[in-house]
Amino acid sequence: MMAKPNNITLVCNQTSGSPAIRISGLHKSFDGRLVLDNVDLDVPTGKIVSIIGQSGGGKTTLMRCVNLLERPDQGAISIGGETIFSAGNVTCRNLARLRQRVGMVFQRFNLFPHLTAVENVVLAQMHAGGVGEKEAVARAVKLLSRVGLAKRAVAYPEQMSGGEQQRVAIARALALGPTVLLFDEPTSALDPESTGEVLRVMRELANDGMTMILVTHELPFAKEVSDWVVFIDGGKIVEQGTAADVLDRPREARTAAYVARYASSG
Amino acid sequence: MLFSSLADLFQVHWNDYVGNIAGGLLKTLGYTFASFTGASVVGLALALMRLQRLRLVRIAAAFYTEIFKNIPLLAIIFLTYFGLPSVGVRLEVFEAGVLSLVLFYAAYLSEIFRAAISGVHRGQQEASEALGLGRGKTFTHVVLPQAVRLALPGTNTMFVDLIKSTSLLVTISAAELMTQAQLIASETFRALEVYLVISAVYFAICYPVSQSLLLLERKIHAGVPLSLGRRRRLNLAKSFLAEEGADP
Repeated sequence: MMAKPNNITLVCNQTSGSPAIRISGLHKSFDGRLVLDNVDLDVPTGKIVSIIGQSGGGKTTLMRCVNLLERPDQGAISIGGETIFSAGNVTCRNLARLRQRVGMVFQRFNLFPHLTAVENVVLAQMHAGGVGEKEAVARAVKLLSRVGLAKRAVAYPEQMSGGEQQRVAIARALALGPTVLLFDEPTSALDPESTGEVLRVMRELANDGMTMILVTHELPFAKEVSDWVVFIDGGKIVEQGTAADVLDRPREARTAAYVARYASSG
Repeated sequence: MLFSSLADLFQVHWNDYVGNIAGGLLKTLGYTFASFTGASVVGLALALMRLQRLRLVRIAAAFYTEIFKNIPLLAIIFLTYFGLPSVGVRLEVFEAGVLSLVLFYAAYLSEIFRAAISGVHRGQQEASEALGLGRGKTFTHVVLPQAVRLALPGTNTMFVDLIKSTSLLVTISAAELMTQAQLIASETFRALEVYLVISAVYFAICYPVSQSLLLLERKIHAGVPLSLGRRRRLNLAKSFLAEEGADP
């Protein structure tokens, strides 16, 4: 069966109103090597899109383009109806404000090691969000409670397990009240027990209706929480559809091979 | 035994020279703090220049560093105090002394600062930018505090080294400790005793300073919050946690 052409905008069929994220015709190269090749994707508000694919296929780069940590070469990106990138130029007037609306959780946590968990969650609130100290600390404590880490609030990252660090990173990303959360392989550096802790928190966020893009190899989790699954290979969207379509009944041989490999290794 | 008793070794009436020693000590500390402050500022500027994308800026900073790392401090002191007047630049002893120490130590400190800033993982900067902090705030609140931790051991060594290097200013009669020692020795003809006492004074300054800096280093690495702001925030967090019944 033929794959859907990757240059046609495909919208999750559950959508209503304007999408939280709209990506169209995105290109990105590193040193002449094409990493994203004319990628189109819409993420409707309140939906969860999982991006799967082999390492080096372009999925992390695609996600990093959403908050402009990577600057695309061509194409357009809109967040909540506002065009932030178009025709090779950043059109977002306030990049810091954009990034407060789009939280990001990294594969290697990237917590600030010189600060305690609670201070990690406070920092951006005070210095990027203009939140007062007392309010920022109160909110940080609440968020740490929400991810089950109130008792570890004054611990330093090096005193915490990988799962705990990643949950602090999620609390930190939530601190400025983002409308969208980006997860870049959040569990790939974790042991199975820690993975379970992090997935539990993500499941709760999904149930709360947070719009999320999730780059992952955790196919069972992707299947459980995703409204839409995108398989990327060689910088192109090879296949996309509902989780059941892509993961249970892949149409493309590359998708099927990937799913078979990670379903068995997972 | 070269001396039958300590009394034979120590015969100088030190009470007569307390003023000289105290004055010399104050001068030494003055040179140290002025030079270290200047060297730190110039060193940080050089380190940031060496991390710039613009090649010309990087080359200029590297050129400075290599020049002053490979010239003896004594030569720099002579150049600034005895050399510059021949081109119409006359500096006071204090100015020439501080300038020499700043020029010399800025080169070394820039290397320490550059390595420390480079040692902060790139992911830290990305995480900060992803949270909406601009480049300035990312540097101030994320990169710099971590770089300071990495730079502390080398910087502390340089600070103590600088205190000792002020003794080279004796060559331009800077009125610091070593100059006072030279004066006392020339008055008393008791060179061994005088320089032993002055060495002990240097030790009495340098050892506690280096131990205190080591203690500071350990406290910082152990995560002891040193700033009032951090202490206040952590106390606030603890009181909120207590309200929630989640004492850490």
